[in-house]
Order: sequence, then structure tokens, then C-alpha cells
Amino acid sequence: MTKKILILLFILIPIKANALIEVDITRGNLNPLPLAVSPLSIDEESRKGFEKILKKENIGSEISNIVENNLRTSGLFNPLDKKAFLQAPDIANLKPRFEDWNLIKAQALITGKVNYVDDKLRVEFRLWDVLAAKEMMALAFTTVPNNWRRVGHIISDKVYERLTGEKGYFDTRIIYVSEEGPKTQRIKKLAIMDQDGANNKFLTLGNELVLTPRFNPASQMVTYLSYFKNMPRVYLLDIETGTQEVVGDFPGMTFAPRFSPDGKKIIMSFAKDGKSDIYTMDLENRIVEKITNHPSIDTSPSYSPDGKYITFNSDRSGYQQIYVMKNDGSDVKRISFGNGLYGTPVWSPRGDLIAFTKLHKGKFYIGVMRTDGSGERLLTENYYQEAPSWSPNGRVLIFYRETKTNSKGEGFSAKLWSIDLTGYNERQIKTPTDASDPSWSSLLSN
Amino acid sequence: MNRSLIISSVLHALLIFITAMSLPFLAKKPLDIPPIVSVELIQIAEKTNIPFAPKAKKIIEKVKEKEKKLVSEQAPPKKVKKTKTKTVLAPDQNNKKIENETPEAIPLPDKTLKKVETKEEKKQNPEKVDDEVKQVSEFEKKDLFDPNNIAALIDKSKEESAEVLKTNDDITQDQERNVENTGLTLSEEDALKAQIFGCWSIPLGLPYNENLLVRIKLKLKPDGTVSKTEILDHARMNKPGQGFYKVLAESALRAVKLCQPLRVPTTGYERWKELQLNFDAREMLEG
Amino acid sequence: MRLNKILKNTLLVLTACLVLSACATKKEVATDIQGQMQGDVYTGTDTVEYLADGVPDRVFFATNESILTTASRETLRAQAAWLRKNPSINVVLEGHADERGTREYNLALGERRANAAKDYLMTYGISSDRITVLSYGKERPVDSGSNPLAWSKNRRSVTVKAN
Repeated sequence: MTKKILILLFILIPIKANALIEVDITRGNLNPLPLAVSPLSIDEESRKGFEKILKKENIGSEISNIVENNLRTSGLFNPLDKKAFLQAPDIANLKPRFEDWNLIKAQALITGKVNYVDDKLRVEFRLWDVLAAKEMMALAFTTVPNNWRRVGHIISDKVYERLTGEKGYFDTRIIYVSEEGPKTQRIKKLAIMDQDGANNKFLTLGNELVLTPRFNPASQMVTYLSYFKNMPRVYLLDIETGTQEVVGDFPGMTFAPRFSPDGKKIIMSFAKDGKSDIYTMDLENRIVEKITNHPSIDTSPSYSPDGKYITFNSDRSGYQQIYVMKNDGSDVKRISFGNGLYGTPVWSPRGDLIAFTKLHKGKFYIGVMRTDGSGERLLTENYYQEAPSWSPNGRVLIFYRETKTNSKGEGFSAKLWSIDLTGYNERQIKTPTDASDPSWSSLLSN
Repeated sequence: MNRSLIISSVLHALLIFITAMSLPFLAKKPLDIPPIVSVELIQIAEKTNIPFAPKAKKIIEKVKEKEKKLVSEQAPPKKVKKTKTKTVLAPDQNNKKIENETPEAIPLPDKTLKKVETKEEKKQNPEKVDDEVKQVSEFEKKDLFDPNNIAALIDKSKEESAEVLKTNDDITQDQERNVENTGLTLSEEDALKAQIFGCWSIPLGLPYNENLLVRIKLKLKPDGTVSKTEILDHARMNKPGQGFYKVLAESALRAVKLCQPLRVPTTGYERWKELQLNFDAREMLEG
Repeated sequence: MRLNKILKNTLLVLTACLVLSACATKKEVATDIQGQMQGDVYTGTDTVEYLADGVPDRVFFATNESILTTASRETLRAQAAWLRKNPSINVVLEGHADERGTREYNLALGERRANAAKDYLMTYGISSDRITVLSYGKERPVDSGSNPLAWSKNRRSVTVKAN
């Protein structure tokens, strides 16, 4: 009898396990996540206080507008129309009525409150999971009122990180070259702005040609090329103090500068006697090292995020192609083998991809490939575009695009554009003048 | 000129001759290969198959097209504000600060870089005191992947499933995978899949070279509403460096909630009163 | 039957050749009409200025190339003779590229073009002390057009008096 039961048990156990039905869900939608950004609530006294200082009627809604705009431009979120909101901002921040937010199909909700405390701006915000009816995050900041835009960007970064699983890129700035005047006689200035185009400022006056500024990933330093005194050289500029200096003492043109990931070295090209080689200079001890030594043009160098490798473009094969080598210049390997010319390789901050410009059959492409050259993906095609620069989280590329002129040579313009890795979220970044050579900073709030 | 013409015509003539002699092989009839027809074999039960959602790539392409059309409208996402035109004038205001021996540079006049202070949030809301303090202190620390942080965050999702955990301890996570389709017919499964495909917004920021499988066990009521959910690989949410897993798990839970009531078969409640959904984002993210 | 086939093929190939040659001649005619480019090197005089009578100031290059053409060498020999006659004059060789390349590579390419000109002047006895090389890449086009002719005018090395 017991034997029988035992046997029965043996048979039964697997059956019981098998009874659970499994369904594999391998697909979903890539539609942006619908969420509601409720305006930050503000009491009358605080509102008046900020109106006096910042000349903004309602700083609460201004900040939430920034958050909403950031999340929308990321392409991953769909902020819903505020007109459909049923709950007042102040009450929503205390305890959202989730059914109401569910009704307008919001899956997440951002609420918050602004206070004027001791001449400071105090902002608290909360992120709610509407479907699970619970709070996902709550945070508060205190800062000087003038920083209100940055508060909006930091909130956006926190929300982005909490909902996507990777760091955001909103509390960042972009340095670029502002362009004005006719194509044959362009006036170029260094300019800097927030990632969303606000707070635009010029850093040089346009008396001499400036090109290719790049942010130091570790500080507020910038390196760029200036034609000061008609001698094209790489310069180092501290954007907070405005002080600057020539990088190295080279008997000829230095160009294509970029910082190492730790910000302690500058890597660049030096052109002499018709050939261009790659050099580094240590910013602490000023030691200059020659990395490549080849009669060809070797330029546009970029370090891998761990600093162990360098990618660059070279025409040593006869045409401009992308190569990868160790950081001491050894072990040079060509990685681009597709049709066309490849240039401006930039290593992703995530380390997994290299972004590049490709010229093929008269068209310019921005694309990405793996660091061994496999898996090439072209994200966008145009008459002319180049010089991609990564967002600090490695999800978005910013680059510049130039238009074709008409038969009279008119209609030229240069603009900044961004595109994310999926290749479909392409946007122009508005600048007061024409613009080129963008470079994305690291997150400021780290 | 003349000479090259002669050489050219001689060479051409030669070429024509050679080609003419060697071409006849073209006259042979090519093999008659019937066109290849690819056949997809699908088992059909009771009802007809509900079409699968198109592959990720196709979706992306479609969205891309849509986006392209919209670009002109969406392109200027930022409203040009009055302040902008003011900043344009900046260089004139700063004209005094012209260079001497180094290239001109305008130092940024304002120190926008002042650190934003992050302060601990004091409870404002008597109803949910505990909750709030916990949440706020989490974010005091910079690193989201701090295991302590995650543990705190996860508390809630645990609460939700704690009960289920007890009752289902006997079903281990290592159960064999050869058990699929014992309960639902293909069309029943398709109906359910198609429904959930539509509800699941995949978080696009996930790393695509990681294991992105989230297994959720559901307890269902006869009308298809969900009475309990349980994340099977719960332990993984607590691991450092797996912050993305929590994001993915949450998105899967949202999909289930959004889809309620689930499109379950009208009969045989006993078969499907417990259901396991395996959410795998890899295919979508790699596409 | 077999002969017939061969004949048919011959006819076919002949027509093909005719069609092809028609294409070739048309192209030639086209460049002749324009008369300002050979291959894709600019041969016109629209943008050329003169350092002295009979001494053109610039030479032109093919796409992505820094090789001097026969015409370029002639121009540079004239420049070398003029420089020998005027030993007090120093020059800057300004190298340029067209807009169809990445900015950084074009800076290097402009330098390579100007250096090609410099090397040639040196072989005709001009001291390197008198020559400075300056690359503008694609920053200073002479023709703002977006067409092959405009690009050919912009791919150049210009000799400029430095004093």
C-alpha cells in the first residue's frame, strides 16, 4: 500500500509541476511610455517671491515644462496633455487619485512642490507608478533661485534613470562653434548652451577662426583649435575663468584635440611635411608622446572609456578608414571595411560602440559599429553631416548637418541635430546662429 | 589620333570576335528551377490564429516613418523664449574683456555651476510617513545600484507577492521548460500574447547584451482579472549592477496590470487559474 | 543554325559596343563644353590671381589627392622663377580642401597639398626658410557652390606673399 502511494507521489509531483502554464512574451511595443507631469504646486507667497527674482510668473509650471520637454525629446516618454489632468497639482502631490490618472492612460505620474525658503528655491518631487498605485521615488533640492532650470534637468535625469534603468543626460551642456556670415568668409565663435538649447553664451568674439571644441569629461575645461595669429594650434580653455593656453610647443599645425576619459591627457594630431601623426600631452607634467608614426594622415583620435585603446581615422590604406590601436600606438587594426570612406570615430561612453561619419556615393551617414568593426548600423543619411558626439549615457548622438547651396551658391546653413541609437528619434537643436562641431559634456550633477 | 583609332578598332574587332565565339553557351536553355515557396507551418486549433505583432525592426521602421513625417512639426520642441535673444547680445556686453596675448575668450559671467544641494526630505504627509523617509534617504546616496538602496526599493514589490511566495514554495524556479503548452491551445495562447504585446512598453534603455528574462507568476480569477502577481527571480533584483532588472520587472508588472482583464479562455478555469508569463525583451532590443 | 547564332551574337555585341561608345563620347563632349575641368581637376582661370605677370598664384588638385598635375608643376616653376628674381619676398602656401570631407581630415589634407607645392618649389631652389605652410581645410572656400565645379575650384594651394 505504502509502495503504491509512493509511486503515485512520484507520478504526481511532476504532473503538479507541469500543471503551470507558461506563456512567453517576447514582444512589446516601443511606443513612448505615457506619463503625466503635473505642474509643481506653489503657494501664493512663494510664487510672488520668485516672480520678483526670476521674472517668471509661475516657477512651478516652468520647471515642470522643462521636465516635460526633456522627457518628450528623449523619445522614450510621452508626456500627456495637461488639460486632461483631473487632479489639482497640490492635492496630487499629497496623494494622487490613481484612478483619475489611470483614466487618462498615464502609467507614471510626476508631482511636486516649490517653496521660497530663506531666499532659496526648495523643490520636492515624487514619481508615482500609477498602475501599481505606489510611490517610486521622492526627492527634495534646495538651491539658489537662478538654478531653477537645472532643477528641472536633475528631476528629468532622476525620472529617466528610475524608469529606463540607465543614467539620464539632461543636466548637461553642449559646447559648439557658432557660425555667421557668407560661406566663403564664415565668422566662427565658441559657444556653450544647456543641452536643451537654453542659456546660450559665446565664449570667443569671432576675431579668429575656432574649430572642434571638446569637453573634458572630468571638469569644466575645453580643448579646441584656434587660428590665433594665423597659427592653427590646439588650446585649452577654462570656461569658468576664461583663462587659456596653447597645448604643447609644436613647430606646425596641431588639430583634432580630445581629452582622455580621465581628463588628464589631450590627444591630438600634429601635421608636418604633409603627414599627420597622433600625439598625446599629459596635462600635469606636460610630457608629449608620439603615438602613431606613419607617412599617412592619422587624425580624429578618440580614447576608449577605460583609456586602454584609441580609435582614429587614417588614409594609410589609400582611403580614409577607421582603425583601433592600443594606447601606446601598438597593435594597429583596421576595423572599417564597408563601402565608402569612414571618419571621425568616437568611442561610446558605454564602451560597446564606435560612432562614425561615412561618405558613400555622395551621401554622408552617421552610424555606429561595434569596436571590432562588426554590426555596422547607419542611423541617418544626408547631403552633409559629420562629427558625432555621444551623450554621457551613450544613448544619443549630437552632430552637425550642412545644407546644399543652390546654383547661385546661396542657401547654405549649418545646424545641430541629435539622433538616438534606435535611429528614429531625430531632432534639430535650436541655436541662435548657425552651428557646428558640437561636443556633449558629462552630467554636471555628479 | 589616327593611330589610336586604328588600334582601338582592331582591338574592338578582336573583342567582338572572341565574344561571338564564346557566347553560344548562352544559347543553352537554363535549368528549369521552380520558384521556391516558403511555407510557414502553423497548427490551428478551435479558433483562427491571431496575427503576431510584427517584428521589432518593422515596428521601428514604421515608427521611424511616422516620426519622419512628424519631424517638421516636432523638430522645434523648444519654444524660443525672449531670454534667448538677450543672450545673443552677450558678446557686445562683454567687449571690454578682449585678449592680450592669448586668443579672445569671454569668461562666463555667472556661476551657474554652483552645486545644487540635495537635502533630505522631511515628511510633509502624515499618511505615509514611513514610506517617504525610506524613499528619500535612498536617494541621498549617489549610486542607484547600491545594494542597500535596491533592497529598500524592492520592499514594496515583495510585500505584494509575499503571500503568494508562501503558497507556491513547492514550485521551484528550476522547473523544467518542457512543460509549455500543456494547458492552452495555440490560438488561446496567441490571443493572450497579442493582448500583452500591446500593453508592454519595453524600457528602451536596457542593456541589450544582458539576460533580460523576467518570469511572473499570476493567479487569475475566472473573469481574467489578476488577483496576485509574483516575480520568480526576485533575488536578482537585489543584486548590485542589476538595476535594469528591476526596471524591466516593473515594466512587466505594469503590462499585466494594464491588460486586465486578461483574454483568457472562456472555459477550463482550473487549467489556467495559475499562469506564468515569461517576459523576454532581448529579441526586441537586439532587433 | 550554328552560324546563324554566331551572327546574331556578333550583331548583339556590336550594338552593345556602339551604345557604350556613344556614352563615352557624350561625356567627353560635356567636359569640353564646360572646359574648366580635366578629370576632376580645375583647369579654368576664374578664381586665379597673379603674383606677377604670367605667375598664377594657385594650383588645383583632384578629389582626396595631393599630387601635382603637369599644369600645376608649370605654375609652380613660374612661381619659383619669380621668387628667385625677388629674393626678399617670403610666401605662405595656403592649402585648402572641398566641403565633401570631414573637417579634421580636411585640415590634414590641406596641409598635405600645401606641402606638395612647397616641396616642388624647394626642388627649384627656393629655401624652405622663405616658405610657410598654412592649412585651412574646408574653412575658406572660394566658391560657395555645392557642385563638382565649385569643389574643384576649392581644392587648391594658394601662394600668398607674406611680406
